[in-house]
Amino acid sequence: MSNIQQFEEEEFTTQFNGQTILRIFAQVRPYWYWLLGFLVAIGLVSALDSVFTYLSKLIIDEGIGKKNPEILVHILVLYSALIVISAVFVLGFIYFCGLLGERVRYDLRKKMFDHLQALSFSYFDKTPVGWIMSRVTSDTDRIAELVTWGMLDLTWGVMNIGTAAVFMLAINWQLALMVFVSIPVLIVVAAWFKKRILVEYRDVRKLNSKITGAFNENITGVRVVKALSREAGNLGEFQELSGAMYRAGYKAAWLSALFFPTVQLISSFAVAAIIWYGGVQVDQGFLTVGGIQAFATYVTFMLWPIQEMARIYAEMQRAVASAERVFSLVDAVPDVTDTPDAIDPGTIRGDIRFEHVDFYYEKGKPVLQDFNLHVRRGETIALVGETGGGKSTIVNLVCRFYEPKRGVVRIGDHDYTGLTLNAIQSRIGVVLQTPHLFSGTIRENLRYGKLDATDDEVEAAAKVAGAHDFIVDLDKGYDSEVGEGGNLLSVGQKQLISLARAVLAQPEILVMDEATSSVDTLTEALIQRGMEALMQDRTTFVIAHRLSTIRRADRIVVIEKGRITEMGSHGELLRTRGKYYDLYTRQFRDELMREYHPWEREQQAKGAAAL
Amino acid sequence: MIRLLKLAPSPSILRFDLRHALADNRLLGLWRMMDGFRLAYFAAVFSVAVTAAVRAGTSLLMRYFVDDVLGSGAVDARVIWVALGFVLLAVVGGGFLFLSNTFAAYTAEGVVQRLRDYLYDHVQRLTFTYHDQTPTGDLIQRTTSDADAVRRFFADQAIGLGRIMCLFLINWAVLLGLDWRLGLVSVVVIPPIVAISYWFFGRVSKAYEDFQEQEAVVSTILQENLTGVRVVKAFARQRYEMDKFDRENWEKYRRGKRLVLMHSLFWPASDILCGVQIIAGYVVAAMLAINGEITVGTYMAYATMLIWIIFPMRNLGRIIVQMSTGLVSYERVAKIIREPREPLDEGSHTPAGNVRGEVVFDDVCFAYADANTVALKDITFRVEPGQAVALLGPTGSGKSTLVNLLPRFYEYTGGSLTLDGEELNQYPRGYLRSQIGIVEQEPFLFSRSIRDNITYGVGRSVSDAEVIEAARAAAIHDVIMDVFPDGYDTLVGEKGVTLSGGQKQRVAIARTLLKDPRILILDDATSSVDTETEEAIRDALERLMEGRTTFIIAHRIQSVMKADLILVLDDGEIVQHGTHAELLREDGIYRQIYDVQARIEDELEREIAGVEYTAV
Repeated sequence: MSNIQQFEEEEFTTQFNGQTILRIFAQVRPYWYWLLGFLVAIGLVSALDSVFTYLSKLIIDEGIGKKNPEILVHILVLYSALIVISAVFVLGFIYFCGLLGERVRYDLRKKMFDHLQALSFSYFDKTPVGWIMSRVTSDTDRIAELVTWGMLDLTWGVMNIGTAAVFMLAINWQLALMVFVSIPVLIVVAAWFKKRILVEYRDVRKLNSKITGAFNENITGVRVVKALSREAGNLGEFQELSGAMYRAGYKAAWLSALFFPTVQLISSFAVAAIIWYGGVQVDQGFLTVGGIQAFATYVTFMLWPIQEMARIYAEMQRAVASAERVFSLVDAVPDVTDTPDAIDPGTIRGDIRFEHVDFYYEKGKPVLQDFNLHVRRGETIALVGETGGGKSTIVNLVCRFYEPKRGVVRIGDHDYTGLTLNAIQSRIGVVLQTPHLFSGTIRENLRYGKLDATDDEVEAAAKVAGAHDFIVDLDKGYDSEVGEGGNLLSVGQKQLISLARAVLAQPEILVMDEATSSVDTLTEALIQRGMEALMQDRTTFVIAHRLSTIRRADRIVVIEKGRITEMGSHGELLRTRGKYYDLYTRQFRDELMREYHPWEREQQAKGAAAL
Repeated sequence: MIRLLKLAPSPSILRFDLRHALADNRLLGLWRMMDGFRLAYFAAVFSVAVTAAVRAGTSLLMRYFVDDVLGSGAVDARVIWVALGFVLLAVVGGGFLFLSNTFAAYTAEGVVQRLRDYLYDHVQRLTFTYHDQTPTGDLIQRTTSDADAVRRFFADQAIGLGRIMCLFLINWAVLLGLDWRLGLVSVVVIPPIVAISYWFFGRVSKAYEDFQEQEAVVSTILQENLTGVRVVKAFARQRYEMDKFDRENWEKYRRGKRLVLMHSLFWPASDILCGVQIIAGYVVAAMLAINGEITVGTYMAYATMLIWIIFPMRNLGRIIVQMSTGLVSYERVAKIIREPREPLDEGSHTPAGNVRGEVVFDDVCFAYADANTVALKDITFRVEPGQAVALLGPTGSGKSTLVNLLPRFYEYTGGSLTLDGEELNQYPRGYLRSQIGIVEQEPFLFSRSIRDNITYGVGRSVSDAEVIEAARAAAIHDVIMDVFPDGYDTLVGEKGVTLSGGQKQRVAIARTLLKDPRILILDDATSSVDTETEEAIRDALERLMEGRTTFIIAHRIQSVMKADLILVLDDGEIVQHGTHAELLREDGIYRQIYDVQARIEDELEREIAGVEYTAV
């Protein structure tokens, strides 16, 4: 729990970090010509905007003022040509900027996804799926926004202010300096407002997620609400929430509504100064009528960037925070990796030995201590014991999802850390308690076991696992979609497919975590048969829950608190009347109850019919 | 201004019944939804018009300045007045801009607050049948995102439309007034600009949907990869996964590129169209000025106002497209509001005190509205106050349906069902539910503190001492104090602790003890909880049942043996009834089930004996 809390997002707390910014731009380096392209394009578009204003001044002063239609035509032709040129640059900056954004998103996601494949289990144990999801999705978006539209806003703003300033200085430098005085005032006011507005919007977002939560709970828990006649009380509580939401939303809007007119008012003082001082200058011949008009327009050019400045800054801050989280993922080091001189022995058939193995997930909470076990090639080992005793840890170590903290695991005669991960994992078959399927067709899911399997091989494997019959009964047979996570199939069907997938893989070592969830009798029998077929002639570790599986094992190992407390054949262990005896009789009663109880049987029959 | 900061809809406005806001025409419906806010909304639109007029006024002031002040030959004190005029116009324009945005926000936030309140209340008062048939996700979507789309309709789109139209109409009217030829030449390119932008934003919103769809595909692959990390590693399929992700990620990139391309073509194209309009306007106006038909000041005013006519029109298409999504959302929300509520206090018989708890079923039948099969057939039995009746039967036999009739979650469709001699449907639902307590096998807890969960729905203020007493009786007090980090203040759910099924159940028992109902329903509450707590729960349940008429739903015999009456249900009918002793004497399913237990023990003994024998 505490784990997850530390992953909660924090906003607006990160300061700019030069190193992070450098790394962000390192992402863009391969596409520097796009970045350069759109920055140049936006710069030119912004400069052209100032030129258009200047041309308008010329129309007034040189064309109309001097009553010279020829010059007027020249200016308007130039104006038209520049409009076309500007349009080309607009096309350029939108295209390059958008393209770069998509590309950076694509690259970052690819990089993160690929890195995630290399990370070890220990990383996934500590990191919630939701956290990773939002790193890969929303954080990459924010980074892409920063290097594209963020950079664009920045360039546009700087260019707007810069070119407007240059033109103003060129037209009349005294007047220009008077206008510049208003800029610091504008900046201070804009910063003051935006800070408050952003805080309000953060409240709005928080309240909004609370409101969604309230709806969610009221809808999912509606039966309880009704049973307890809690309607009026709930409404009262919700009204407080929606009232708070109103106030936050309204206040944010109110502040925004005040912000723009305030900035405009300040700039109107600048315009008034232009009129007053400009009027005098015109009179003395230092300024033209068109010049006054141009000045008034240039002032508005400066307004927009200053207004948006605070927003852009806040977004950049957020993007840098996003980048830090993304890089923390990319920088995470997998703790199970190939050693430099790791080999692939070609096969991993052979005895498996745990020698003095210690293991823990968290320091100070040992799971296995001085664990020893020798499994002969081809032997079937049933692991039994209470949940949390260490059974799953043992099979995780066999698969080398984790490595021992002390001691050695040997496969054949090799310390298995001297083998490549691929050598081990591509030859171990794993059947999980809750089978995991991927969106796609049944055939695609089966091929997961052997990517180049022919259709015949796929079908043969499905037949061995007992999955073929139900598959061909489906509308589209092997090409039926299984849905997200396989949710279009029943639990039993998913188990059969996961068995068939393992059959197709032809593993040399098999690891099974038997399902506890009850399926109908027919499917149960199919699963049993499939398991038998799979276990034939393979070294097998099975976390066993079913009596038939336990009885079939060559050796039963009872694990309690990370140690082997009993070991032997079914008969031997029953006779000792120890822990195994208790576990077995409990399981026996449960299973037979399911089997004999008329209604449970009926339920299973219904389940089978639903197949 | 500060007074405006405190502006909030009055309680009477918030109480408006939104059922009156329904209409077949969606625009009419949205209009009705504005009830109580229309004045504010008109003020917002009016203020927008004023700001547009002020903007035109600024141009006219410039014209006056250029023609009359500068043109008069000698610059005089009028310059100061003109300068002040600009500031004044900024104050007035800014003030009305502020008002329009404030009133629009008041309308939008107020309308959505009322809508949210209404939907929240409405959803919890809809019938069980409605909730049975409606997917949760869909309902949440409609009550949150769609309600927000309605808010955006009022906050951004409707007022944005008003702003564009006001800017256009007022500036255009002034232009026509200055010179009718200028007025006409200023709008020739407007129709194609609007048409193209409407067409473009329609296309873009489709392309954007495609893009979002692909985003969902990418997310799904990522999520499946993360949740299936064991499978990926176990089959050493990292390469395969990377390729799969890359394919879809690339497809997203491709769709994103298409979207980018569309934008990068539209904006310059519309820039050029606007440019054509500007050049055309400038040519005509400048020639008129050179020929002396209009003054320089008029030309300047015209040049400014032309911009204010053209550029807003580019966004008209976008606003219209966005408005159509607002209309769709209105429709989706209205569909929920149209559903009839379940009245809580409708009923002719409301006793002053508690009921005694005598329940008589007489040929009661029930069929779900959408099903053609009958869920309950001719159910007849009688329970005296304080007795316990057990319902035994397989899943789908009608046990839950039967008890759901008691709080009137569903209405029986035939026969007679009386409580204390009075027909059940004469009691108001609210009253009945206050008399009935329900404990389920895995009760739903709310994400609030343990204390709030225990006192939830008790309907009166409860002291801490009472809460602790109830928790003790429900055998959960020790867990709360020893295991939960903040004791009774520990939050339950996503942001707090996760409770086991047995713990949740005991919280529900404590809650029911506090509620102290006369009738109790134990819905599968007695079977298969964690073994260590089974005893504690059984004791707690027994305490709870004391002195209450109790309905026990179960599907194993151990839970029902002590009941005063056992009903065995199958397929909506009572197939056997009697006490445990009576039913054991009968030849029927009850005895068969009972015998299973003995048979299992026999077999176990034989199995173990077999092992012993082999050993010898």
